[in-house]
Amino acid sequence: MKACNTGFFMSPQNFSVNDGDGIRTIIFFAGCPLKCKWCANPESQSYNNCLVKEYSVEQILKIIERQEIFYRSSGGGVTFSGGEATLNPDILRELTNILYDRAINLAIETSGYFNFEEIKDILEKMDLIFVDIKHMDENKHIFFTGKSNRIILSNIKKMKGLNIPIVVRIPVIEGANVDDHNMAETAEFVKENIDNPKIELLPYHSFGDEKYEALGIEKPSRNFKAPSVDRLKELKKLIEKHGVEIVSYN
Amino acid sequence: MVTDRIEKIRQNYINSKPAISYERARIWTESHKKTEGEAIPIRRAKAFKDTCEQLKVQIFDGELIVGATGEFRKCGILTPEFSWTWVDREMDNFDKRVQDPYIMTDEQRKFVRENIFPYWKGKSLEEMFLAQLPEETARVAVDTGIVDNDSKWRQAVGEITPDYQDVLFKKGFGGIIREAQEHMRNLNDITAENIKKKEFYESVILTSEGIIILAHRYSEKAREMAQNEQDEIRKNELLKIAEICSRIPENPPVTFYEAMQLVWFTQVGGILSENPLALNVGRFDQFMYPYYKNDIEKGIMTKDEAQELIEALWLKLSEWVWTISANTAEFFAGYNQFQNLTVGGKTRDGKDATNELSYMALKATEKVKTHQPGLSVRIHQDCPGDFLDAVTNLVSKGTGFPAIHSDQAGYQMLINAGYKPEDARDWNNCGCVVPHFRKTGEWTSAVNINFTAALEYALNRGYSRITKGKIGLDEKDPKSFESYEEVEEAFYKQFDNLIRHSVISTLHAQRLHKELVPRPFLSSCIENCLSEGVDLVDAGAKYNLGPVLTGIGLAVTSNSLAVIKKLIFEEKAVSIETLIEAMDANWEGYEGLRQIALKVPKYGNDDDYVDDIAIKMANYYYNEGHKYKDINGNNFNTAFMGISNYLPTGKVVGATPCGRRAGEPLSEGVSPFAGSDTSTPLAALRSAAKLNQDVHSGGTLLNLRLNEELVKTKRGQRNLGNIIQAFFSLGAFHVQFNTISTETLRKAQENPENYKDLLVRVAGYSTQFVNLSRSMQDAIIARTAHESM
Repeated sequence: MKACNTGFFMSPQNFSVNDGDGIRTIIFFAGCPLKCKWCANPESQSYNNCLVKEYSVEQILKIIERQEIFYRSSGGGVTFSGGEATLNPDILRELTNILYDRAINLAIETSGYFNFEEIKDILEKMDLIFVDIKHMDENKHIFFTGKSNRIILSNIKKMKGLNIPIVVRIPVIEGANVDDHNMAETAEFVKENIDNPKIELLPYHSFGDEKYEALGIEKPSRNFKAPSVDRLKELKKLIEKHGVEIVSYN
Repeated sequence: MVTDRIEKIRQNYINSKPAISYERARIWTESHKKTEGEAIPIRRAKAFKDTCEQLKVQIFDGELIVGATGEFRKCGILTPEFSWTWVDREMDNFDKRVQDPYIMTDEQRKFVRENIFPYWKGKSLEEMFLAQLPEETARVAVDTGIVDNDSKWRQAVGEITPDYQDVLFKKGFGGIIREAQEHMRNLNDITAENIKKKEFYESVILTSEGIIILAHRYSEKAREMAQNEQDEIRKNELLKIAEICSRIPENPPVTFYEAMQLVWFTQVGGILSENPLALNVGRFDQFMYPYYKNDIEKGIMTKDEAQELIEALWLKLSEWVWTISANTAEFFAGYNQFQNLTVGGKTRDGKDATNELSYMALKATEKVKTHQPGLSVRIHQDCPGDFLDAVTNLVSKGTGFPAIHSDQAGYQMLINAGYKPEDARDWNNCGCVVPHFRKTGEWTSAVNINFTAALEYALNRGYSRITKGKIGLDEKDPKSFESYEEVEEAFYKQFDNLIRHSVISTLHAQRLHKELVPRPFLSSCIENCLSEGVDLVDAGAKYNLGPVLTGIGLAVTSNSLAVIKKLIFEEKAVSIETLIEAMDANWEGYEGLRQIALKVPKYGNDDDYVDDIAIKMANYYYNEGHKYKDINGNNFNTAFMGISNYLPTGKVVGATPCGRRAGEPLSEGVSPFAGSDTSTPLAALRSAAKLNQDVHSGGTLLNLRLNEELVKTKRGQRNLGNIIQAFFSLGAFHVQFNTISTETLRKAQENPENYKDLLVRVAGYSTQFVNLSRSMQDAIIARTAHESM
């Protein structure tokens, strides 16, 4: 297949070990439909800033080719992330099809905010889907991310039919979504709508602050905090009680 | 946890400073006074036997494996027949020197100056070497850091692996004596060659008798101590030691314990005979396994007892100290004796060779944290996952061990050197990263060559920027270079010249070794020497390889050429005049230019622009080195080894175009320049694997620092194992990791008292961080720590 598309990306990250199996390359798509108040990758919210660069499909493939030897030995591959990869379906599709034909293990990390029918063919080629549930309460979701969670939750229900392993990721943020009620509701939803239900808890961090500085924009509220280790343990128990497995790629 | 006994010995190992014993030198000298005029092999063998008869026998508290090289527990010996002048010059400073200090008292110094050194005046290998070396070569090769082979004229060669499988465990030294006598009886023809052979066999008989006598003296000593011992348990242990030493090493071992004691007596013999570098243990898990299996099956020994004996051997290997000059210590820092011990890999018939002892060896290093043995593993592509996990688990402990080697690349290196396939499959490591085999005689670290100096001379009309002296060949004004190709040609001209002097210097040293220091004891441990009646110095082993030239500064030199190519001739961003002025000024006043130079692609980031320059240089080096033949008619070999040679070689090179400042370290082996591999460790691995590593039969070395977070979990360790396998599948030979956090290293610098057992990887080996000089410590901290992302 001849590759001709270009798109906007943050620097691809080789040697990632936390976003799927084995040694992986993470392709960060720029652009995101959500505007999370705690966002750790604020550069992903626009196409036009110093941390975003235009890459051709060929350039991306070249980066991936140099890493293939490490996928082979480790069972790793490529993870599409962002921003929101599905916001640029054409180039995502092109990359997915080429890499699928090369039998490279593929994963996607998505906000779940997309038109399911439009990208169903892409999702079908994934080996693993990470999808976020940031909040179960619609109003709070709108407050924190700028968008309703209805599409997200409905897409997760539809994903079940794809028969692809799904891991629901929750960014665990004191000051946003960490209460028992929300967590229990999330766990229940996951249990009901996903076969082999799995949740990964991602504790909030402020490593993105430097990027805010680099971009010259205001940093997230100080009210957002990482949960304590004890609180994480409690949440783990709470979620497991609902019959959902807690997984970790650390 | 280790047993109390092992912990006690371990504490002694950590807390005591090495002390110099002149006993071996005293006996050796007195013996030589009595044998004036006799054949040299006989004189050396008699001196060895006298040493075995007279050296004080010492069994230290709690020891299970016995045999000491002098009166101190942590002990270095003197070998004035190789060199005494440096000891005379440096010993007043031994306890004060920065790298590898030793304790030596005024009385000791007085004694050696009055009773030992005068005898050797004019007779030592060093003096003869310096008297014979052509002036032109001496200027480049004597204590310069440019071409450095002083470990081959101030020291013995070492670099040998006793053959336990086919010689020592099969015959014992008693059997070796009988075999030598048998051969002598059959040497009927009167030829010059046979006279020499007879002398060889006589010398072997003498040294074998010597080591048996030494063991018998230990047996008596243990029995004597048992009589006075109140503690019943210790009493029985001493009686056991007495029994073992009465049989071993005269007879083949029957039990695991006996075999272990035989290994140590062989080391002691080797040490007393020549104070060797790299007297390797070899494939420990292979030759020990039959004894282990038998003892476990028959209930002679428990697994815990075996583990304790292994740890006891590790401590013995660590307690003796290689006595070396300050110059050598800069190149081989950290009291390292380079006794390599290899586990894992394949059997001679190509099957997986890992067994319980392979795992127990890793465990022992994890538990006792000794810098010896130099623990190496061979990893093949079908290596059991459990073994690879055990390897990366040890990596995660931050000891810098084990040195991880590709089974396939090691095999290929020996095949390229002309080995038979089953022998090549049976390879073990020598020293740090040299693929080697127990039926081989070679100089695996013959000479260090400073690649970056060649570039300096090319760009400075043959002159050194540091000493201002002319060391290189004539060259035109660097400002008149008109193309990159011209610069490159000038570099290779200087490069060839350094290789030429390396070869000249090595050939002189080889000739003197043949004449002055035959090696009957170690030759008796090598199968072919025995069967053919030829000493190791006369190429008596089955395989005799040419000396190994070690290249230093591959990354710095390639990075520098890349800067010249890109900035001066391609982009014309800066004139060659300006760059030369910046070098002359050590970048002072040229910080802007330096920043631009730092941004030019650097080796270690999987960037073909600069990696191609490194590949070309490495291939060129192989061809140039292989042009020359050694004293036995074998090709010289090439290597990119480490040791700590990238520090002293850096001190003698001024600022380099890559952005490096004058005096800063160069780069080691095929490793990137410290801190310049800014991408990922995977990129550094890919850069290193691009070099055709398997042609450099002297070995290649890659050191990387990994953030400890990355290998904290089982999953992280397995990922590292997979990375290693990927690296090896690309054809690379060796990688070793330091996984200690920078924070820990800084703390250790501040409070060395609390970090005495902190092992770090220096280059081809690991050693105690606190035993390194401050500049060496800083260099280790400066290595890029690859962060997990």
